Amino acid sequence: MSEIYNLSAIEIRDRFLKGSISAVSIVETFLKRIEKYDSKIGAFLKVFPERALSQAKKLDERLKGGEKLGKLAGIPIAFKDNIHVKGEISTCASKFLTNYKAPFDATVTELIEAEDAIIIGKTNMDEFAMGSSTENSALQKTCNPWDLSCTPGGSSGGSAAAVAARLCPLALGSDTGGSVRLPASFCGIVGFKPTYGRVSRFGLVAYGSSLDQIGPLATTTADAALLMEVIGKHCPRDSTSFDEPQEAYLDKINNRPEGLTIGVPWQFLEELAPEPKQIFNQALETLRTLGAKIVDVDLHILKHSIAVYYILATAEASTNLARFDGIRYGVRSSKAKTLDEVYRYSKEEGFGPEVKRRILLGTYVLSAGYKDAYYKKAQKVRSLMIKSYEKTFTQCDLVATPVSPFTAFEIGAIKDPLQMYLEDIYTIGINLAGLPAISVPEGFAKDGKPLGLQLIGPQKGDALVLAAAHLYEKQSKYNLAIPTFVK
Amino acid sequence: MEQPGLKPLMGTMANLTKQTIQNLIKLSCIECSEEEQERLLIDLGKIISYFEMLDAIDTENVAPCNHVLASVVNVEREDKTGKTLSRDSFLSNAPSQIGGLIRVPPVIKNS
Repeated sequence: MSEIYNLSAIEIRDRFLKGSISAVSIVETFLKRIEKYDSKIGAFLKVFPERALSQAKKLDERLKGGEKLGKLAGIPIAFKDNIHVKGEISTCASKFLTNYKAPFDATVTELIEAEDAIIIGKTNMDEFAMGSSTENSALQKTCNPWDLSCTPGGSSGGSAAAVAARLCPLALGSDTGGSVRLPASFCGIVGFKPTYGRVSRFGLVAYGSSLDQIGPLATTTADAALLMEVIGKHCPRDSTSFDEPQEAYLDKINNRPEGLTIGVPWQFLEELAPEPKQIFNQALETLRTLGAKIVDVDLHILKHSIAVYYILATAEASTNLARFDGIRYGVRSSKAKTLDEVYRYSKEEGFGPEVKRRILLGTYVLSAGYKDAYYKKAQKVRSLMIKSYEKTFTQCDLVATPVSPFTAFEIGAIKDPLQMYLEDIYTIGINLAGLPAISVPEGFAKDGKPLGLQLIGPQKGDALVLAAAHLYEKQSKYNLAIPTFVK
Repeated sequence: MEQPGLKPLMGTMANLTKQTIQNLIKLSCIECSEEEQERLLIDLGKIISYFEMLDAIDTENVAPCNHVLASVVNVEREDKTGKTLSRDSFLSNAPSQIGGLIRVPPVIKNS
């Protein structure tokens, strides 16, 4: 019998339901691994040993009592620290929210707990999900399990590092411009960003509300599909959540997609360096051998996606983060004497440099005299991008690109903010168009670090994206590699 | 809000000034040190210059995107009270409170 931590979430659940392992020993296994490795990785901001063990005990009793348990029974799961779990911290890795405890559950939390998963802890992230490396966390550093001198990517870097190091089999992240897919690529695991509106944002701390989506991080596409079955549900508390029935993604991914046409926007990818290009070409070759037809598509407008994104996302962030004023929650500056000082000093002390930069940038693009020139212009280009994708999907079923032009970079290597923004060039357009997309491991560079293949589907084509990734993964098997350091 | 020194910059290099940064700080209610302001001037200048690539795109007759899903309609619900937070749980995160209310510094001056 292979070690429990080597198994997928579904395999762990099945062993638990068969009675070959107890929920308590599953939790203990992962708690021990967290204790052993996380001091070097720094994935978790908080671990919940008591909560997790007490939930596990209850599950063991319920199973013994012959009760039918949920789809996620006995699976330990970690949450990015911007998703509310009632009574637990939600710091968003910000000094501003160091002491904040969520007074209510996010919708995804309720859905996941109703299916008997065990929440094992909260993970590190870029402050308020603003970043591509998790280096913007004000609370701690997270290292990439494949190379501890490198970042895990971001902003859901803690969740990705935790799953890659098998400190938990499953995790949730949030993706505003690539924040699930980029760390999944850097850490050699699967990360899925659903169609905008498929997963409720209620209880997710808002960053760019027209772009944010919660998504799963896992070691297999089947695990990601299972978690999507649970969280992909209409929610009346999120007015942007679309009112359609839940989908049986797990069944759907086992129906092999036949006669797929996959579009590759070569013009948009022209600056891709030789090594990632060669690995990407290999992935396309694998897809070809699986029966897919590869065609060239025109998405050159995506070259403008970073500019559009940093206008719209910062505009939304400057509005969303105005609520952190030191009045109702969060840290209030002790040197403030007047109400105005409470706002100014609390924000000064509570927010890190990237958050301040984005709030000011968002304020700039929304101020009088600039709004039409920047914000409205960006909204118009966003319309063009959506149209461009719509046209592309009349020519192919899915689009393929690399997730990132590089493998994980060293901690501290990128100091220029604009340079960091450019990291997300291949992922950002997907959020602007509201599309579903997955990062699935596509191999390793010579330096031993993983790279991800990105498959992108039309709006509400989540099942097809997962099915195609599942097909590719079964053939390529790069998802099974585990970093030596945590074996 | 009309701000002195803030004029549309599309089509030109983003010549941000210290005054612009100070206006933004004021509008955003964030205190920033001199040193931070210097840094912001450089960083924001670069980023805003980068935005100018959008100038080259013809958006005449293009409607701005207000929602990515074309199918979305206005969402309404019945006007019924649902589950809300209790006063205690709401106040549990307040940095300063008194008598079941949030305490803030005085906003009305004694005459």
